[in-house]
Amino acid sequence: MLGSFGIAVTTISLLLSLSLLYLSYYDLKLSSNRISKKIYKFSFLQILLTFLSFITLIMAYVISDFSLINVYENSHTTKPLFYKISGTWGNHEGSLLLWINILVLFSFLFLILDENKNKNFRLYTLIFQNILISTFLIFLLTNSNPFSLLYPVPTEGMGLNPILQDPALAIHPPLLYVGFVGSSIYFSIALAALITKVDSKSLATTIKPWVSVSWSFQTLGILVGSIWAYYELGWGGFWFWDPVENSSLMPWFLMTALLHSVLVLERRIGLYSWVIILSILTFTMSVVGTFLVRSGILNSVHTFANDPSRGLFILSFLALMVFSSIYIFFKYAPNENKNYKIFSKESFILLNNWFMIFFLAVVLIGTLYPVFLDTLTGQKISVGPPYYNFILAPFLLPLLFLMTSGPKHKWISPEKIGIFNIVLFIAVILFIIIFILIKESSILLLLILLFSTYLITQTIFDFFEKLKNKSINLSRIISHFGFGMLIFSISLNQIFSIEESFNAKVGDERSFKNYTIKFNNLETFSKNNFKSAKGYFEITDNKNSTSQNLTPEIRVYNKPETITYEASINTRLFSDSYLTMSNISSTDVFNIKFQKKPFMNFIWFSVLLISLGGILQFTRFRKKI
Amino acid sequence: MKILLLTIVLFFSNSISYCNENKTYEILKNLRCLVCQGQTISDSNSDFALTIKEVVNDKVKEGLSKKEIYNFLSDKYGDWILFNTPLKANSYFLWFMPYVLFILGGIFLYLVIRKSTEKTKQ
Repeated sequence: MLGSFGIAVTTISLLLSLSLLYLSYYDLKLSSNRISKKIYKFSFLQILLTFLSFITLIMAYVISDFSLINVYENSHTTKPLFYKISGTWGNHEGSLLLWINILVLFSFLFLILDENKNKNFRLYTLIFQNILISTFLIFLLTNSNPFSLLYPVPTEGMGLNPILQDPALAIHPPLLYVGFVGSSIYFSIALAALITKVDSKSLATTIKPWVSVSWSFQTLGILVGSIWAYYELGWGGFWFWDPVENSSLMPWFLMTALLHSVLVLERRIGLYSWVIILSILTFTMSVVGTFLVRSGILNSVHTFANDPSRGLFILSFLALMVFSSIYIFFKYAPNENKNYKIFSKESFILLNNWFMIFFLAVVLIGTLYPVFLDTLTGQKISVGPPYYNFILAPFLLPLLFLMTSGPKHKWISPEKIGIFNIVLFIAVILFIIIFILIKESSILLLLILLFSTYLITQTIFDFFEKLKNKSINLSRIISHFGFGMLIFSISLNQIFSIEESFNAKVGDERSFKNYTIKFNNLETFSKNNFKSAKGYFEITDNKNSTSQNLTPEIRVYNKPETITYEASINTRLFSDSYLTMSNISSTDVFNIKFQKKPFMNFIWFSVLLISLGGILQFTRFRKKI
Repeated sequence: MKILLLTIVLFFSNSISYCNENKTYEILKNLRCLVCQGQTISDSNSDFALTIKEVVNDKVKEGLSKKEIYNFLSDKYGDWILFNTPLKANSYFLWFMPYVLFILGGIFLYLVIRKSTEKTKQ
């Protein structure tokens, strides 16, 4: 029932997208300088029906309608309601429908929010956006239909992978998709700007809010995914440079570059073509990311759903998209006047772009090189954290330095600013205090600490300056401060992390450094959809004689049958205690892993600040219009 | 060039400090669990991971260096097991391309800025 309804609704929304394509094209030739009412009406219907198809799928999950293959394969009646709903986008077909919903949402928001722009510019944007929407709808209906029916109707579903049954992972895909798919709108805007020869000021003001909003959501999405990996995967890390994680980071670098370049474009100093290239690349990279995750060519801890035929479709779509963008770009690219002065703000923004593109290149090479090498020569190599840390970490030093001094320079003014000042002096003093406290011997880590302290001190100074002078951009201060804090906290986390792994039976005790861990008790119990063995541990800190209780679990889920290891984490302001246990087969001995993870809260909080800067930028901007 | 030199200096200082850390533990963090999806040996509880943990522990006790242990494991299981990609003919591109790109990007940027400043002088 719901299946046929869903197919009908989705088909109608495809027809609406095609009609919108036709109507927008037809409207281009009309002399009126306003977009015809019909387009508004059709757009409204389009968003209504697209939402409806998504709601239909959610309903099918809520009532466990197993006549839909998709529901049968990914849900189960005993699953809590919350995870029935989030299960909707926990699989390929459902998440593709969410992807399309966001495409349509952005298309609609663009139509109603950017009313004061040139008519043909808006129409072309709608055309490109609807080409994307139609293509993905056709892909959905022909290859990945979430409403495909199953007969005879099974009485029970197969269940959702238990490690996906988690609040963080329920909101992670929607956040990340707003980031990923949000970049589609400036992809369309960029192409439309080329064709209609929009001037740099209005191109900049049109894409700026969209870039800020997608960038903020992308940042939040990455943060939530990282938090999930930290407590759910049970290894106590928050970033593994895993190919799937990299896929979310690559568009982020481009968005960051774009966010800065737009500022130059806005002041008519140059970068017109470059902003267009970045806009096209960002969405391309988002589709590449989707391709990498969905096609299953990558070996990753996050690979949950994949199928080669999808990969083939996305790859063909990608090729088509890239080639037509390149064609449009070279056909319409304008000659522009560039006017960059050394030591002016715009030069520093160019330097920012240089670093962002470099970071992107490193991550792209690291992710794809093993795949190409395997395909071409059959040799399998792994590229892991040591590679990225080794290549990227040294470049953080100049980046942090540029982030500190760049914003102090003026636009179009080649004025040099002295590096030696009170801020640097304070930063160095703070750094010396830190140095005495931590006794770390790695020069690289120490320098990173020094430079991040410098950035943090500078942004705090800027903040007080801002209180006096209203014209300073607060969102920049917050985001840069967040980034400084992030690097600072990660470095300290690296230095102070403790890890101890040992085997123990119930009743055993283990002492190391300042800690004593006692395995007090083991309890087994059954819940609705899993069985669990829960360990009771007491950890005593001998230094200040405090103790805490941690209770890691081993869970055996029944639908589908999976073992998960649930970490027990005690979060304090400055440090997390992290305990996991795992059974050693056919013995009563457990492998216990205890970790001290300092500054985790600071890491999460600083990413939140980075993202907050983007959101502020968006609201500030909307107010100005 | 300065940056490259700096990198090399930093690399050495880095590797010196890491030597002092727990050797077995660091090795296990850099090994891929071959039967898992993208997990390290250190993080995995699979039988394969447990075996490798034993092997590495024994080799460290025998007094083998980190390099010898990595070589021993990659001879047996291939380079796929090593997360810290060794510098070999098949990974020159991987290790050097980023620096080449960074330098090329820098030259390009320099030319763009110089061209633009010359134009405004005229």
